Amino acid sequence: MTAIIECQALTKRYRGVTALAGLDLRVEAGTVFGFLGPNGAGKTTTLRILLGLVTPTSGQAWLNGRRVPDPAGLANVGAMIEEPAFYPWLTGRANLAVLARSGAAGAGIGHALARTGLTDVAGRKVKGYSQGMRQRLGLAAALMRRPSLLLLDEPANGLDPAGIREFRTLLRSLAGDGTTVFLSSHLLAEVEQVCDEVAVIQSGRLITQWPARAIARVRVMVEPDEQEAAVAALTRWAARADGADSVLTEAADGRAVNQALGEAGIWARQIMLERPALEEAFLALTGENDAAAQR
Amino acid sequence: MRLLSAELRKLARPLTWGVAGAAALFCVLLAVGAAHNAEGIVGGPDGQMATQVAGQLSPLAAGAEAAGLMASLPGALALALLAGAHIGGEWSGRTMKNVLIQHGRRWQVLAAKLTSLWLAGAALIAICWAALAIAGPVLVHLDHLPAAHQTAAHALGLAASQAARALLVLAVFAAIGLLAAVLTRGTIGTTAAAAGAVICMLVLAVLPTLARWTPATWVQAWMGFPAGQASDTTLPTNFWSRFLSATGQPDHLAGFLGLAGVLAACALAALTVFGRSDVSG
Repeated sequence: MTAIIECQALTKRYRGVTALAGLDLRVEAGTVFGFLGPNGAGKTTTLRILLGLVTPTSGQAWLNGRRVPDPAGLANVGAMIEEPAFYPWLTGRANLAVLARSGAAGAGIGHALARTGLTDVAGRKVKGYSQGMRQRLGLAAALMRRPSLLLLDEPANGLDPAGIREFRTLLRSLAGDGTTVFLSSHLLAEVEQVCDEVAVIQSGRLITQWPARAIARVRVMVEPDEQEAAVAALTRWAARADGADSVLTEAADGRAVNQALGEAGIWARQIMLERPALEEAFLALTGENDAAAQR
Repeated sequence: MRLLSAELRKLARPLTWGVAGAAALFCVLLAVGAAHNAEGIVGGPDGQMATQVAGQLSPLAAGAEAAGLMASLPGALALALLAGAHIGGEWSGRTMKNVLIQHGRRWQVLAAKLTSLWLAGAALIAICWAALAIAGPVLVHLDHLPAAHQTAAHALGLAASQAARALLVLAVFAAIGLLAAVLTRGTIGTTAAAAGAVICMLVLAVLPTLARWTPATWVQAWMGFPAGQASDTTLPTNFWSRFLSATGQPDHLAGFLGLAGVLAACALAALTVFGRSDVSG
């Protein structure tokens, strides 16, 4: 498949503080991609570099196969970075019109307002908008050029539950239309529900990247006196004892686990495929559970 | 042009209307004071001055008055305010990222900002001219000033010449505001830095060894403002040259070249700084 976003050894230092430390990332076209990481992991810096707002200290990045910064390539990109900001003395529609005039491509302001549910309030000045309405307007600004790539940084912040649900539907609909969505978010449940693929970064480095549906593990129930042998037989999947008669593996394939146990002469009482929440996987990967326990 | 029209749309804001109203009010109040003072000297030894004021307040010649005021300290301060809101405000309001996401060519963004600010300065001249053109004849009538002995062609020529010259000075003020904005990245910082730079120019021009080489004297030479006390008249044509010495002034061409150099240097420096700076926040 074609990479719509690619980063190689991307590094950014701000006055001695390292925001990105050699990030390698590849996002295929047509996916909804979740970009996760704790605060300060470098998510927003990555987006800023991709959009040409920030110059990397070293390393390279490509959008649609073109090296960034690429002002001409931005015509195919819609983006919302952090909390969206607008000109408070202009109406929502006028704000979009001003942005549309700033850009090179033709804009579908009415279409974007309709998709984000802002048509009725588009004539009101932005200074009277709630945070959720500003967030929707930010989404509308990102959508109005009908981009092939959408970069969103915490887009669900400030949205009410109904808004989050609409937003989820919108993302899936965009993905259905062939738009690639790159979604940086702290709302792990949202990412889990809408993303095809997930990457986790920490301290400016990629920790792991995997298909969202692959977040699974296999639980094996064995006799207590066989537990130690079962852990040894399943070491290739980072197995560990869990309770008196259970072994947990990070494998996603129950058949392979069963085969490995059989080869070791162990017959399991039960083999179950479990899907832990993304949150659990994220916390395990980033070590935030341990940090919280220490606090 | 699309980018420029977007910038002009953003300038249509309450602050701009406030600055324009204040500039027009300032010009009118100055005219009111001048006409009142001139009324007192009609028929006296300085009676010629009253005629001169009446001439300055004629609808056509008022353009020279408006251009002189906007090409001096009042105009510089007005553009510093607008630069703070229009350019520095993009950082304070965190909207610069929106602009650059839509249009990534930074030099074009800066060019549109500079041009729109300069056009706002030109509009200030037009507004002040219109205010004086309306108020002038009324004041001349109310204060019983003598008729001015000048032809319409002469008055219009003087006004057009000063207005055209003022456009270069306003471009310099706008470029100073642009540079201040990319350096300070904020509304207040931009206004303070731009106003401070203009005041520094005037202070430096007072120093005899530097006077000839400061932008303040180039403004004076280019605009043809009378130097020193000669500029203190019943209706001042500017708020600039009264601070400067009458001796050692550069000629007209040197003034033009100096201002063109300042304009180019400020625009280039702003482009260099902005082109390399990270846009965060």
